[in-house]
Amino acid sequence: MTVSVANDMSIFSLVAGASLPVQAVLVILILTSLFSWWYIFIKLATVKHAETNADDFEKAFWSGGDLNKLFEGLAASRRKPQGMASIFEAGFKEYVRHKQKTHIDMSDVMEGSRRAMRATYNREMDDLDAHLPFLASVGSVSPYIGLFGTVWGIMNAFRGLSNVAQATLSQVAPGIAEALVATAIGLFAAIPAVIAYNRFASSVDRLSVRYESFMEEFTNILQRKS
Amino acid sequence: MIRAYEKEVSWKAGGLAIAVHLALLGALLISFNWKAAHPVLNVTEVELWDSLPTRVVKPIPSVKEPTVKPVRKPEPIVKEEPKEEPKELPKIDIALEKKKKELEQRKIEDQLKKEKNLEQKKQLEALKAEALNDDVQKPVKVNKPSDALKKLQQEALAEEKTTGDQQALSAKAAANAGVVDEYKSKIQAKIHGNVNKSLCGDGNPVLKFDIGLFPTGELSGNPTLTKSSGNAACDEAVERAIMASQPLPLPNDPSLFSQFRNLKLTFKPND
Repeated sequence: MTVSVANDMSIFSLVAGASLPVQAVLVILILTSLFSWWYIFIKLATVKHAETNADDFEKAFWSGGDLNKLFEGLAASRRKPQGMASIFEAGFKEYVRHKQKTHIDMSDVMEGSRRAMRATYNREMDDLDAHLPFLASVGSVSPYIGLFGTVWGIMNAFRGLSNVAQATLSQVAPGIAEALVATAIGLFAAIPAVIAYNRFASSVDRLSVRYESFMEEFTNILQRKS
Repeated sequence: MIRAYEKEVSWKAGGLAIAVHLALLGALLISFNWKAAHPVLNVTEVELWDSLPTRVVKPIPSVKEPTVKPVRKPEPIVKEEPKEEPKELPKIDIALEKKKKELEQRKIEDQLKKEKNLEQKKQLEALKAEALNDDVQKPVKVNKPSDALKKLQQEALAEEKTTGDQQALSAKAAANAGVVDEYKSKIQAKIHGNVNKSLCGDGNPVLKFDIGLFPTGELSGNPTLTKSSGNAACDEAVERAIMASQPLPLPNDPSLFSQFRNLKLTFKPND
């Protein structure tokens, strides 16, 4: 005995049968989800890169070698220094430049070097914070977008029900199912975005603390040197 | 969008993001396909229903037989007094059966009365002729006709039973036909209520569909269009309405289901 299933509930037929606003919501949510995952993987790579860079640079800096050699090595490399190395490069460059002018007071030299490091630090922090606001927005807003699609779909399902004499569950069930797909995708976009945001925010905070303490320590070393 | 230093990882990250979404799509497809297989379970339920009618039909005759039997049982008791018997039997029959039986019964009664008259005349003659042996001969002569009466009555009763059963069957068939028509019109009305009439235009289109049903009222297959209205949208609207009307109303008596297994329905959506 073969029975044809009257309304097959595959995901494609559900999405194809949804009303236009629901489909628009689905498209928006899939795009945001794609972007948020893209940014998650980008940040995963860049934050990890910044952490290993900071580890490597700290190791090289505290190994007790000559600071001039370290600076020349950074300046000679083809790649632009990143993170802690760029802060060191900016501070040391400014220090050397002021040192060459003999008539300048020592406190002014230190102040200039500090300002240069602070500016580079801000630029580095801006790079580290990139995309985090997007992840935060996706995490908080996409469930609402999904909910909007669901409410709209359920409204349509019940409005269709009002036109028939005998209401059965099978008349509303497909509409509600396709509406709930919107909530499902909204949650699928939101959950990883929130988790990633919290993780990256704490990683960036730890990196900023490391950068700031390095700035203070390096200032002390420069002061001793002069 | 992305910073300059992020460009080297952007392609890898994009590929991973797409992979994650493909994984989600795959998970959704698998879980939904698993759900779509669920209706197959309904088929087994339908087969269970198929076996029910034979069980339910049996109790009905068994219920009716006892109502007939009480008529038989009183006979031996009544037969002891031949004169009262003809009067009592019709009463029971009237209570149980219909007018035809009464008429037949009356005919039998008339015959019996005639016989009795004959007997009485004979008895009177016999009394006149043999005045001395009255007391001895009477019971013998009365008893003989009473045997004949018993035979006649039994034959009459047997006839009544057969005719009565036939009448009951025909009455039941007539009632069933009424029920079948009632449910056919109920099915039509239910489907009619689900038709989106705006798709059928202003005319008076007529459509014919063949549908197969399970005892649960669900369709056993797709409805087949035997006569189109000429408007494909209207045909589809009616087909959707048939699908949407599941389960269709069916009579409670499972023995009538055979009449609904294959239905030819005619629709006039604009009526």
